[in-house]
Amino acid sequence: MLATILNATLYTALAIHVVLIGVALWRIWRGENIVDRLISADLVTVLTLAVLAVIALITRNSIYIDVALGLAALGFIGTIALAKYMADEQMF
Amino acid sequence: MDEILQLIAIIAVVAGTAFSTLGVLGFIRLPDVYTRLHATGKVGVFGVVLLLAATVAWTPLGWSKGLVLIIFLLLAGPVTSHALSSAAYRIGIPFATAVRDDLAESSEGGSPEEVAA
Repeated sequence: MLATILNATLYTALAIHVVLIGVALWRIWRGENIVDRLISADLVTVLTLAVLAVIALITRNSIYIDVALGLAALGFIGTIALAKYMADEQMF
Repeated sequence: MDEILQLIAIIAVVAGTAFSTLGVLGFIRLPDVYTRLHATGKVGVFGVVLLLAATVAWTPLGWSKGLVLIIFLLLAGPVTSHALSSAAYRIGIPFATAVRDDLAESSEGGSPEEVAA
């Protein structure tokens, strides 16, 4: 009984997160200034992490958490590099 | 034992999704860049970390990797928000409804008024 509730919440959580990713992507397209677009790009990375976590729960396979770890590291480095490039106009 | 873990997973997923939706809602509705960073910080720290707590509780053999990812996210979230807000300040993005600007008085960074002027 509890397993069906868990499955239902997992699929609704997945649907909600995909809708949120759509909103963040629309925000990249319609951002008013450059920092706004960069924030929404970072938000897309974070929400993809959430989707990966939910998929790891649905399939009960912990390989997706490794993917999420790699994505978290790269997303973090990318956002920091872009923020520095945006502020100083030179990367290094 | 499984029932308890499933219960923990359900509660964590519901809380994580609630935080994510609130964060993205705040990201859309808030007036300027700096307040939006406040909202997206919530998504990154609370939303995903609670979902990962659910994966730690319920996926087999996944608890160690989940904990490593949770610690990394708790460290990386605030750093990203700080980098973005200092970059926005240096570029000179104006505040929507700022009452005081401490960084300007200390004249360490070019404040939006000077840069914009």
